Amino acid sequence: MNVRDALLRGKRRPRNLGGGSPTVFRGDGYEFVELRAYVPGDDVRRIDWAATARANALQTRVVLEDVALTLGCVLDESGSMRIGRTRPLLEAAREAQAAWFGVCRPEDRAVRALDDAIVPAKGERGRLSALVASAASRQDFDLDASLATARAALPRGTALLAIGDWFDLDARHDGVLIDLAGRFDCTALVARDPWYDGLPLRGLVRLRGAEGGGARAYVGERERVAYARAVRERERTVLERFERAGWRTGILDESDGAQSLARAFGVAEP
Amino acid sequence: MSFEHPLRLVLAAAITVAAAFLYDRLTARKTSNDLVYSNVPFFVESVQPRAWIPAALRAAFVAAALFLGIALTGLRLSLPLPSNAGQVFILLDTSGSMSATDVDPTRAQAALAAARAFIEATPAGTKVGIIAFSSSASLVQPLTADRDLAIAALQNVPEPDGATAIGDALALAAQNLPAAGHRVVVLITDGVNNRGTDPNEVAAYLGAHHVPVYTVGIGTNSGGTIPGTDEEATIDEDALRGYAQVSGGTYARAEDATQLRDALARLGGVVAIERRDVDLTAPLAFAGAALLAGVFLTGLGLGRYP
Repeated sequence: MNVRDALLRGKRRPRNLGGGSPTVFRGDGYEFVELRAYVPGDDVRRIDWAATARANALQTRVVLEDVALTLGCVLDESGSMRIGRTRPLLEAAREAQAAWFGVCRPEDRAVRALDDAIVPAKGERGRLSALVASAASRQDFDLDASLATARAALPRGTALLAIGDWFDLDARHDGVLIDLAGRFDCTALVARDPWYDGLPLRGLVRLRGAEGGGARAYVGERERVAYARAVRERERTVLERFERAGWRTGILDESDGAQSLARAFGVAEP
Repeated sequence: MSFEHPLRLVLAAAITVAAAFLYDRLTARKTSNDLVYSNVPFFVESVQPRAWIPAALRAAFVAAALFLGIALTGLRLSLPLPSNAGQVFILLDTSGSMSATDVDPTRAQAALAAARAFIEATPAGTKVGIIAFSSSASLVQPLTADRDLAIAALQNVPEPDGATAIGDALALAAQNLPAAGHRVVVLITDGVNNRGTDPNEVAAYLGAHHVPVYTVGIGTNSGGTIPGTDEEATIDEDALRGYAQVSGGTYARAEDATQLRDALARLGGVVAIERRDVDLTAPLAFAGAALLAGVFLTGLGLGRYP
């Protein structure tokens, strides 16, 4: 079982799928695609007897299977994701994104939601039907705009993965998160603070903000304890906020983005 | 406060400003103790790090530069410092009015008791002399560091009798005081100068030579008459205040033995404290260097230089 299987099992599929999305997966469905010569192994229930009579050879009806996925991803590429203990969090986030889109089959489509557009997932252009737009990496990340774009542009039933550190997430977003969970199968990966296990420095420290700003401070034992408590509390709060809204959640570990995604779905491999 | 090289104040100011600038430049360098963090406001709000410590180090660094800069100017301050080299003359009024009994047992006896307490309270090493005056002034005890001798000399103070020659007493004190050093005159009287030299002139002379005259007026306003006479025992407070003022001393009024003792006890502090010009070059230089070293060592110890 992998992430795709978990999505298709549909335990957490949204309530209002509506018309669903078009699919090109050939399998057990209803929409006719083509008629072709029977090959051993074809489901005998799909043999078109009229066509067989006309052709004087067994003919199989090929239909579309209604299991194609639309995979969406909202990825925070802001400066705060470009720091990390051993490497930037963004690298792990991109690994998770790649693993996410990696579950795609040809009949699926994969898109990224940016602040103001949705774009085909990188590397998926050509074999996926997707909207076309530029997909430049962005230093800033507008959480509200990205979620609004995803809501407006993605079809119902989309499996949406959102990856970020969620510093901007607060009670104002509760309504949006609930709304998105009603439309999509939503998963949030919350980037674990690089110094979750302890600040690396002691003494006089100059803090430089990943997105600007800074401060000079003394970091002693008191500050280290307060920091550890604050980081855990923030992570717990963010996870609870997503889960209350109906999102699947997971922790993005800096060391392995793909496995972080798998853990969020409770599977061994993405 | 005075400066040996006042123009160097400009240099001191320049050094201080340069130090502040240098410190900010040094601390702006990227070091191994820089922490790039996702969200500084979150860190500051949740951790509330002690920002006063780096601020204090910066202030100490700038203060060190300021001290060193001021040290170059040769700053001298007039500071009150403990002294055991004081030289004080006690001028005791022995005019007839001092036999008035409005102060128990008599003004003269109360004055002698207070003078004794005063001598006992002076720091060891302080030289004390005693002058008694009525119609004229007489040296009862030249300046001596032997407190026992000075206390014993109080027995030689004459009984109250005669007029009041305050100016003569002040002049005698001026003659017997050394030309330099921490010198003080304590005048205990109940009367109005009515004989001899003008006290104002002598007090002004003493003041000009850095010898303050502390005057203590003894007796009540209703002191009655001088025993054996019809003469009223009065105090010329304005005059006593004037002697003190022109010489740099103070005036105190004592209406009973306790007040007199308290007044003289306060003057004991005056004798024990000497105001001296102190050259602060070395202390400032030392303080600046020590502060600078402290900032550097603290900075190193706390993970940042400076």
